[in-house]
Amino acid sequence: MASGEILLSAEHLTKRYRDIVALNDVSFTISDGITGILGENGAGKSTAIKIFLGLVRPTSGAVTVLGEKAAENLAARARLGYMPEHDCLPSQVSAAEFLTHMAEVSGLPPKVARTRAADTLRHTGLFEERYRAIGGYSTGMKQRVKLGQALVHDPTFVFLDEPTAGLDPMGREEMLTLVRKTHREFGISVLFSSHLMADVERTCDRIIVLQGGRLVQSGEVGHFTKETETVFIEVDTNRDRLIAALEQRGVVVTLDGSGLTIEGPDESVYDRVRDALIDAEAPLRRMAPRRRALAELFERDGAA
Amino acid sequence: MSNHTSLPPDRPAARAGTVFDIGYRSYDGVREGRGRSRRAVFKDGLRIALGLGRGGRAKLLPWLFIVVLAGIGLILALIAGAAERLGGPEAAANVPSHSDYYGIASIVLFVFAAVGAPELLCRDRREGTINLYLVRPLTGSDYIVSRWAAFLTVMLGAAWLPQIILLLGRAGGAPAPMAYLAANWLDIPKFLLAGIAMAAYAVTLAMLTASFTTRRAYASVFLVGLFAITAPFTLGLAQEIGGKTGQWISMFSLTNIPVHVNDVIFGEMSDMTEEAPARLFPASVKVAWYFAWTVLPFGVLWARYRKLTP
Repeated sequence: MASGEILLSAEHLTKRYRDIVALNDVSFTISDGITGILGENGAGKSTAIKIFLGLVRPTSGAVTVLGEKAAENLAARARLGYMPEHDCLPSQVSAAEFLTHMAEVSGLPPKVARTRAADTLRHTGLFEERYRAIGGYSTGMKQRVKLGQALVHDPTFVFLDEPTAGLDPMGREEMLTLVRKTHREFGISVLFSSHLMADVERTCDRIIVLQGGRLVQSGEVGHFTKETETVFIEVDTNRDRLIAALEQRGVVVTLDGSGLTIEGPDESVYDRVRDALIDAEAPLRRMAPRRRALAELFERDGAA
Repeated sequence: MSNHTSLPPDRPAARAGTVFDIGYRSYDGVREGRGRSRRAVFKDGLRIALGLGRGGRAKLLPWLFIVVLAGIGLILALIAGAAERLGGPEAAANVPSHSDYYGIASIVLFVFAAVGAPELLCRDRREGTINLYLVRPLTGSDYIVSRWAAFLTVMLGAAWLPQIILLLGRAGGAPAPMAYLAANWLDIPKFLLAGIAMAAYAVTLAMLTASFTTRRAYASVFLVGLFAITAPFTLGLAQEIGGKTGQWISMFSLTNIPVHVNDVIFGEMSDMTEEAPARLFPASVKVAWYFAWTVLPFGVLWARYRKLTP
């Protein structure tokens, strides 16, 4: 898969369930890499994924995935993987047997399916436990089996719906590592749906933010990271004189407890802060770069 | 340069080994598409129906039913053999044979279907596995038809095996086995066809019932109850009312519907239907009634899964 190639294109996507609008005129493209689709419960993430997989038809608008309409071309689904949010694993069979079966259902010949199931279980860290019935697995292990069945047929593009749901901090960290590995080592592009900002921020290259079925933001994570950078300044005395001196120099400041915060600083702001400190005769106690959480940014933009 | 480590040269050669990290391997081979998907669901259906690849408890019931059905065939064969030896060919002709077998074993076949069908459908919906099928190159129709075909295959095996045992037993017990086979070879296509009628009916009704619930026990109990209640209830009511109305009431005995077709195929009444007022209907009505009770439920079953989405 060439870097930057568009894998998914959604144009003016709307989905209504009677009076409820699940998606409202949403347009975006997704290219190679790990893309996070972020939103609260009911934001439209799962509906969007079902439309991408061709399971639900949009009320209006169009979607192409890997250059095909998945609803019209079943064969396209052989190149897609899906890890649902909810339970989906049979309790009676072993992980090895289940993944082999799922690989065959995805169109792989039986011998290849067996080999790929073993390989996938090794990559997801379940090789030692592969002959145990899934019903006896822990939540973390079940999440790995769910990821494994989404990867076993070597898809080009995989949809992960809340893959960290129900995991403890260590399990969550391991799952995020696996998600990153899925793209960086296996070369499989990922659409990662989550309501947890921290997960998306740490894992994804790009973010799509949905709120109430509408597209709020989309773009590179780095861009949002830049927007969330701040500098925190704390002085012993003359804080008001410092604010005036900064504003005189065109620096926008906000009060933050006992200190001041400067939003989105560039390189020159540090020189202006130095000059303002001298002019205001304010003894500097602390000056440090800080980052706001992305959530604050989206809350601010969503409210606007 | 190969990425490997070797043991020092002073170690014995037999103990030396090489460890390779092959990493992730992409798959560039053939993808067989929808046909492979259907076959995979069919194969999985066979394994579920027989409890293969699952624990001992999953194997217990299907194999118990198969053994009981085969046992009935074996007992009938032994009775026929004994009658032949003790009373001659005339006595052997009067003991239950191929035309009677499905009537005798029908309740066991129906209970097997009632217990087996929910295993194939209810678990997938209850555990959410159906969602994983529907996102693959497979439609809801493909899924349900493959599952139905898998269970039909198992039920056909369970229906035909005792008839084969009975045939071999009767042939083996006859003074001239080859002469017996030459004289009775038409029984083979008849019991194969009647077996298809029995299995298709039982499988379709059982799977339709199972499609309405995620609880296996509910489906099984409901269906067994239905089969057990309709036979005596309709027979009693039909005999009480009498006439054409009584005949039609008798047609609603769910256990008898495929046995009437068995009678049409063999051209004689089996023990189970010889008292049912519905026996007086012409063959065409009995066959049409059978198809109504098999094709329509199959249509409903197919329609329920056709547009299924996670």
